Amino acid sequence: MSEFYEGMAEVLEVEVEQITPEFELKNVDWNSLAIVSTIALADECFGVILNGRALDLCKTIADIENLIAAKKA
Amino acid sequence: MTASSIGKEVKVTGASIAGIVSCVPSLQIENDYFFDKFGEAVVNDAVKMIGVQKRRWVNETTSTRDLCLHAAKRLLTDLEWLPDTVDALIFVSQTPDYRLPASACVLQSELGLPNGCIAFDINLGCSGYPHALWLGMTMIQSGAAKRVLLAVGDTISKITNPDDRATALLFGDAGTVTALEASENDVSHFVMGSDGNGYNNLIIPKGAFKNYAVESDARMNDKNPSFLFMDGAEIFNFTLQSVPPLITKTTEFSEKNTDDYDAFLFHQANLFMIKHLIKKAKLPTEKVPININEFGNTSSASIPLLMTTTLRDQLKNNSLQLALFGFGVGYSWASASIKVGNLKVIETIEL
Repeated sequence: MSEFYEGMAEVLEVEVEQITPEFELKNVDWNSLAIVSTIALADECFGVILNGRALDLCKTIADIENLIAAKKA
Repeated sequence: MTASSIGKEVKVTGASIAGIVSCVPSLQIENDYFFDKFGEAVVNDAVKMIGVQKRRWVNETTSTRDLCLHAAKRLLTDLEWLPDTVDALIFVSQTPDYRLPASACVLQSELGLPNGCIAFDINLGCSGYPHALWLGMTMIQSGAAKRVLLAVGDTISKITNPDDRATALLFGDAGTVTALEASENDVSHFVMGSDGNGYNNLIIPKGAFKNYAVESDARMNDKNPSFLFMDGAEIFNFTLQSVPPLITKTTEFSEKNTDDYDAFLFHQANLFMIKHLIKKAKLPTEKVPININEFGNTSSASIPLLMTTTLRDQLKNNSLQLALFGFGVGYSWASASIKVGNLKVIETIEL
């Protein structure tokens, strides 16, 4: 997961140490630009294409990881 | 989407591009224009992603047809084509002068093209240029025409909401005209497809003859339905799913490798998207020209505008094997694998 966490830290403009499954997206600007960047990141790291509307509803990093896991399955 | 379901494959023979002229408005809008409205930090964040440093916008009285008229006059003059030798004119745009009649008919008269000229409009955006090439070349292959003009462009600045950050910064205006002529040995390959499931992700909900049910679409709650609505994440998603297989299918169908191409021209949708596509399709960056920084996303005009700006000198002096990829509103997508070059006329002009 580390490449993905590093990427998420960059997208959300926080330190990589802060990115944990419990990290709450309400603490950052979880806007359309961040969502598009996250779609690209998940495609790069895992070869899955996440849905923008589903990402919009995510509250934590764990929620995003669950979307990725569901796509990979 | 897989490469096998990505679209219809068509080979067209006996036609080639004789010249291209793009016409852009002289008014240049830089990013600081938006600082007051959206705030400097917000604008800079958006620009980091979309990559647009400046764009051209028409004034109130200038239309897409005006830009194309100007380009067509220059093209005919410099090619030394008499107007009455043009057999067909196709206008590809989502910003025509009137809901009716077709702008192609108005252009036919203004350019002095003969009454025996076939003229009609096509309602396509970002995928419009490869579609227009296919149709114009097919008209030549069928014997219906020897010389065809493709007027391709949009003035999206007229339909974006100045208060909508997602679209106001992204788009620029441009009109282009491409001249096609009969030529014996040329072979072009096209791949074209559509998926109307995505129709409501890039749409003007109101203003034509049916009103889209904005009240039952939460995304549009706070948006003015008379302006362009764009769901950027959905469009990005569509692009990632459709364009890589389109690239694969195009090179396969033309029986070529990546090395056989001199350049890959992508619709200038947004910089982040183009960069991601280059990486995903493992294309050499130096073969993918980009001008979205200069002109923004100019809809169907973006591919011919790339040809008359970034590739101008090469297309004037050499013959290049090009792959063109248009994708977006509809959803609709199309590609062309085509040889273009030694063009007598290839210019970008201003109005």
